[in-house]
Amino acid sequence: VARVMVIDDDDELLKLVSLILERGGHEPLLVDDPYQAMARLIEEEPDLLILDVMMPGVSGHEIARLIRATAAISHLPIVVLSARAQAVDRQAALESGADDYLAKPVVPQTLLETIDQLLSRPPTQPGGLVVMLFGLRGGSGRTTLAVNLAAALAGLGDEEVALVDLAPGGSQPALQLRLQPDANWSALPGGMSLSWDSLRGLMLAHSSGLRLLAAPREPQAPHLPARETTMAVLDLLRQKTRFTIVDTPPLLTAAVLAALDRSDLIIHVVRPEVISVQIAVHSNRALHSQQVPPAKVVHLLNQTAPEPQLLADAVSRALRAPLPFVTSYDAQQSRALAQGVPLVLTPGSGPLPTSIRRIAAALSERFRAGATPAASST
Amino acid sequence: MALGRRLIHVDLFTGAYRVSGRVTIGAGGLLSELNNATTDFLNLDEAYVSRIDEPARLIAHYATVAFCKENIVFAVLQDRRDGTTIGTSHGPSMLARGRPVQAFVTASVFEVSGEIRVEGKAVPSSILVQTQGHYLPVLSAQAAAALVPDIAYQGDLVLVQKAKIALFCIDPHKSSGS
Repeated sequence: VARVMVIDDDDELLKLVSLILERGGHEPLLVDDPYQAMARLIEEEPDLLILDVMMPGVSGHEIARLIRATAAISHLPIVVLSARAQAVDRQAALESGADDYLAKPVVPQTLLETIDQLLSRPPTQPGGLVVMLFGLRGGSGRTTLAVNLAAALAGLGDEEVALVDLAPGGSQPALQLRLQPDANWSALPGGMSLSWDSLRGLMLAHSSGLRLLAAPREPQAPHLPARETTMAVLDLLRQKTRFTIVDTPPLLTAAVLAALDRSDLIIHVVRPEVISVQIAVHSNRALHSQQVPPAKVVHLLNQTAPEPQLLADAVSRALRAPLPFVTSYDAQQSRALAQGVPLVLTPGSGPLPTSIRRIAAALSERFRAGATPAASST
Repeated sequence: MALGRRLIHVDLFTGAYRVSGRVTIGAGGLLSELNNATTDFLNLDEAYVSRIDEPARLIAHYATVAFCKENIVFAVLQDRRDGTTIGTSHGPSMLARGRPVQAFVTASVFEVSGEIRVEGKAVPSSILVQTQGHYLPVLSAQAAAALVPDIAYQGDLVLVQKAKIALFCIDPHKSSGS
């Protein structure tokens, strides 16, 4: 039995949803005044919230944003239930922090199934933060960013940081960290039998403090991580480490799809060039079709060449999204790659380490504040 | 509420605004209210206003609104049964008569595409003249503002005000099923 709070100014709708919830075996908590919403949520600590959008004085979107920014209840699953039934309304609901969206009039079975689905998800809090570096354009610098970001987070203090390489082969993060990927995810057992000891045993320790779950060195590795295995790995890492950084190939493999599902924040890496932006636009559509909540996705503009083809404003306009993270070209990066030392761990404060440390600090600060970075940045 | 009348949710579009609210309808559905010649206004309850460039953002709410019917470009309904009289023993609904034909309509700053029902010759001007009332019913419709084409509005029934139509295109050889 779950305690489900329903916030709606329509008394008839409240009665109807209450009946549906009771028949589904749940305990309804009804709120008809949106101004009481936050107080009631904190006081009653429901397991899930069903939220109307169109309410006098305060919209459901505003309430959802407030919830995501309030540490005590930021993890609460939210289903938006609205008479506004257009795709743009669904998108707005997800952007405001809702986990799902249903149009009125709702089919009782659909509502109950949605509730069950959300309640069966593993909790995102408490636990660590899973951050995925994503992009369907090869050569956009994701691996370098992932390695440097993990190293920067590890350098912030006593943070436990894991780096997961989901590429099919090549083990580039291991090469960038000068580690031998003798142990790698090809030896992972099936999803359900995965234990922390066995996972930890496969992770390579780096002098910076981060631990790498490497990919096999051979590009034709016979076994790609399965969806269930990837989910189990990321769920376990969330429980056991403060930050998990996931480096992904420019493909929508089963492992990447699993990582999209399990990540708290998806950093979509884009280079300031026309082809990269075009691919990013299509990648965003792919994320949308995979029902990835837009609130989970932020864009990072990664300048890997001395002269960018496009200015940040132009990229932002093309993507129709802000660029909260921008990294600058750093001539020292090729030397760092050759030496096998992430640039962020070298002395000095070049443009790339400075940008990476800023991102790491933002992730750390927002994690400590109790809100996921995605929710805070929107 | 009078016997036989009920509240439905509707999205109404002017050239610049999207207004979502509730309308009380009778047996004749929304079409009957829109075509009611005794009043120039449509009463809306709990109306929420958005601008067309940000159609999901609510900028205003009013408990009661008189909507000037002359300025409605189109209305979106999620259930065609809210639009007009359902069929009776005397004959099928106007939305079920005739054969389905794909149509494309421009009205004010919007484009609407979907299925219309055609009885007799498929001549656009004749269809506009012969369709009863001031609104053209477009079934399984999709609408978009010409300047914001990425944002589409879908409805089981879209009622386009004929007086706002600039372009009405049909392909008489292409039924919606083909």
